[in-house]
Amino acid sequence: MRTVFFQQVLNGIVLGGSYALIALGLTLIFGILEVINFAHGEIYMIGAFMTLFLSTLCGIPFLLAIPISMGVVAILGLIIERAVFRPIIGKPMINGMLLSFGLSVFLMNLALLLFKADPRSLDSGYSHIHIRFLGLQITLDRLLAIIVAITLVGLLYLFIQRTKIGTAMRAVAEDREAAQAVGVNIARIYSLTFAIGCALAAAAGSMVGAIFFVSPTMGWTPVMKSFVVVILGGFGSLTGAVLASLILGLVESFGGGYISYAYKDAYAFILLLLAFLLKPEGLLGGSE
Amino acid sequence: MKPLHRYLFFTALILLLLLLPQFFTQDYYVHMLVMAGIYSMLAQSLGLIIGFTGQVSLCHAAFYGMGAYISALLSLNFGLSFWVTFWLGGLGAAAAAYLFGRIVLQLKGHFLAITTALFGIMVTLILDNWTGLTKGPMGLPGIPRPSPIPLLGVTLQFTSRTEYYYLVLVFVLLMAYVTYRIIHSQIGRAMIAIRENQELARSVGIDTMRFKLAAFCIGSGFAGIAGSFYAHYILFISPVSFTLSESINILVMMIFGGMQTFIGPMVGAITLTILPEFLRMTGALRLTLYGLALMTLIIFFPLGVVGSVKEKWFSIDETRS
Repeated sequence: MRTVFFQQVLNGIVLGGSYALIALGLTLIFGILEVINFAHGEIYMIGAFMTLFLSTLCGIPFLLAIPISMGVVAILGLIIERAVFRPIIGKPMINGMLLSFGLSVFLMNLALLLFKADPRSLDSGYSHIHIRFLGLQITLDRLLAIIVAITLVGLLYLFIQRTKIGTAMRAVAEDREAAQAVGVNIARIYSLTFAIGCALAAAAGSMVGAIFFVSPTMGWTPVMKSFVVVILGGFGSLTGAVLASLILGLVESFGGGYISYAYKDAYAFILLLLAFLLKPEGLLGGSE
Repeated sequence: MKPLHRYLFFTALILLLLLLPQFFTQDYYVHMLVMAGIYSMLAQSLGLIIGFTGQVSLCHAAFYGMGAYISALLSLNFGLSFWVTFWLGGLGAAAAAYLFGRIVLQLKGHFLAITTALFGIMVTLILDNWTGLTKGPMGLPGIPRPSPIPLLGVTLQFTSRTEYYYLVLVFVLLMAYVTYRIIHSQIGRAMIAIRENQELARSVGIDTMRFKLAAFCIGSGFAGIAGSFYAHYILFISPVSFTLSESINILVMMIFGGMQTFIGPMVGAITLTILPEFLRMTGALRLTLYGLALMTLIIFFPLGVVGSVKEKWFSIDETRS
């Protein structure tokens, strides 16, 4: 009984880690470009496919394939930001939303045409290695997912808090015009933010793809749940997003294990509605 | 337009709409007209919520689905006629909108948009998983047609698409009339005030929550009625018809036509229902092109086609949001 309990805790942390990576990208992009990016899930999916192709076609080891995939997807992000999102910055928010939705439909269906709908397995080579610790058991790929998530979140935190560019990013999120007035190159911050968000999503997609499977439609549900995380964590707050990710991961893991597996995708939304009912002022604190 | 001109214009328009099915011999084209009618109801009711009151709702298809499911389940399980169930479908959707709106309409902008989107997803999840009631992804087959009614000495049987066309026409015109009366009343002016500046509206004594809630309930209730009509027309419903993509689809129709106009959403709905029929292709390719077209539309016509044309040719600035 106790081991089952801790097993669920571990699963929850793995899930939470992947939500955190997605949600951080979404929060950054929302905070700086003020766009709700529905296409983030497709970036996540492309990242997973990139890692899949790198490791199966080119024979690159999994742990090396992830950073390469992140780099490639970051470049893709630069192109997308420049071609798609830059023209509508400052336009009504509904435009950005529809634009990202169009991008999401486009990328997902293009992937369906190119890669076909069947789920593929991405073999990291670590999923059969079991690690035992204090009577608990975890496969190495899940442990790696946790480690990668912690590392990336830590690096992002240091980047944003300690570097000059990170400070500029925070300044743009705070007040776009004022940042521009003191000489921040806003266009460069937009590109950089989008690229970082995409790279984080690619890492999450690769890790989750290795644990479960890779398919063109894999990105939609995790990203919608990450939106819940972004709202729960208080729009724009990075620490809040990480905490909310862990909470959601644990709730889903326990709900799926003890209550009902069929409704495992609904827990995120139930959590959101509960939060609205119990603590509306906390959520409203973030409203415009 | 002068009153006389306007009167002549609307008479001619209604005559044309009445005669329209006579021009089409193929059943399929009449089917497209009926679907255009259903989407007109959806786009216009969404226009009341987003275009006039400025509250971005991304769960319109959820209320459309609620209306469809309530109406279909009542006629399948209790043998109620469409003439009773469409009211209940609409009322059910409006009641759900009231309960949900009470909580979320306090939010603004992006927060409201994303929360309503998540609500829409949750409704689809429930429809998919509450298999005891909704039969999940299998859907509900065998929904009965509306029972025959006598009209002007003729009995409408609802066995042909043309009869459905006339019924949807009545629905669309009645709904358009009610919407027209709302937006040209004191309520409508309060709604527009809220859209333009909520704080200012509140400061002059407008109970913003009440009017936002009113717009949300009326719009969602109309969507419920459209859903009920859809269920008793197609005679089969399943959760895939009421997803977030469908909400966005309705939103695109509304924006395409020009959301802050009375006639725009209907124009958008009719155009975007009929136009894609010329591009019949396999699923994924069609959706790829849809995504591309949507991006092009937003980047190059940020105000919607009607809005952009209006700004260019008439330079009337009424498309701010």
